[in-house]
Amino acid sequence: MNRLIRQPLGLASLLVPPLLTLAAPPWLSIGGVGPSWGVLWLLPWALVDGPLSGALAGLAVGLLLDGLHPGLVSELPVLVLLGWWWGQLGRRFPQFERSFSLGLLAMLGALLLGLSLLVQFALAHAAGLDQGLGGPVGGLPHRGWAPPVIALAGLQILAAQSLITGLLAPILCSLQVLLWRRQRTRQR
Amino acid sequence: MRLGPWPRGSLQSVRSQALPWIVLLLVLGLVRLSKGAAFADLYALISRPFWPGSAQSEWLRSSQRLASDLRLTQLREDNARLRALMELNQSHGAATPAAVISREANGWWQQLLLNKGSLDGVRLGDAVQGPGGLVGLVDQLSGRTATVALLTDPSSRIGVWVVRTRQHGLLHGIGTSRPVLRFVDKDPLVRPGDVVLTSPASTLVPPNLPVGVVQSVDQRANPTPEAVVQLSAQADAIDWVEILSRSSR
Repeated sequence: MNRLIRQPLGLASLLVPPLLTLAAPPWLSIGGVGPSWGVLWLLPWALVDGPLSGALAGLAVGLLLDGLHPGLVSELPVLVLLGWWWGQLGRRFPQFERSFSLGLLAMLGALLLGLSLLVQFALAHAAGLDQGLGGPVGGLPHRGWAPPVIALAGLQILAAQSLITGLLAPILCSLQVLLWRRQRTRQR
Repeated sequence: MRLGPWPRGSLQSVRSQALPWIVLLLVLGLVRLSKGAAFADLYALISRPFWPGSAQSEWLRSSQRLASDLRLTQLREDNARLRALMELNQSHGAATPAAVISREANGWWQQLLLNKGSLDGVRLGDAVQGPGGLVGLVDQLSGRTATVALLTDPSSRIGVWVVRTRQHGLLHGIGTSRPVLRFVDKDPLVRPGDVVLTSPASTLVPPNLPVGVVQSVDQRANPTPEAVVQLSAQADAIDWVEILSRSSR
């Protein structure tokens, strides 16, 4: 995380996931669902920089991504946990920086992130937060997903996002790993 | 006195003289049966160079437009007066045009980001209309941007009605491109092709904005029938929208 603050490139790159989430390039999507840009940014960072830095980077990117979406549902907890976990993996098993492993890890990360969102949407529905007009803004209710909605749309979004994230990771994450490794070497 | 047979030559001459008359009468009979259609068409063809010029037809069209505008204004005034008497929502307020600068029509959050925000007078809950009809409601605001929750988002619930049967219902987003309309009545008499508009009784949206068309009806749904609605405004293909202010509602 120190590197994130000391290096302008690291700090600037933190803006890339929310900007790409907003831009949502349609040619990088499956069935209209884009990749999880937070996962694609966090994975190489955590693998190179370790668990603590990974968790803090997950916190930072989670805060930015949560700001883009209204409501109570948050990507932050899973991104922090993923950052910590990937940091541990990077320390112990350097072979995880290979392209195929990066793809699998990113796909798994997107899957866990999507599942956490589904669980939060389901809990919001179970708690009745999405009923009536008692929401936080202008009379709109909170976001909560009923079981039929999860079965209809949730699983489809989950599958599409995990797949596209896993497909893009070998290219994008490999480049980032190289970039962060080079930066780290220069720092030393 | 007995008449002898006609001379052969004179009979042939009568036939040859009568034949043109018979043909002519047949043709005239056909003209009569067609009520002069052929004549009218022929006259139209001949008189084409002398028809009134395009300027006259343009005058006619502009006068028709003027009459329609006047009638529309009159109807709007009547509508506003009657709605005020019934203490219902007023129809649309000021419309602010806005560009779509980001769209996420199929992800976890189904929303648009517009280039107008609270500094431009946009308020939370304002209805957003695209070409074709209602798109969604403003869900989040910054100074220069507004986030619109689409009608397809599972958090979206809009009061609507089917114009033909005057049946009211609640349009639920279910995360797919076609939301579900849950009716209030057990027997809504709705069929595919019926037009769905925003409900005049709704407090969230302006009345009678086009929403979509009923695609299929499930009469056996529990507790009340449901219909799948094809939205008339496709959020993934819209670049400009209008934000309808709530201030005058």
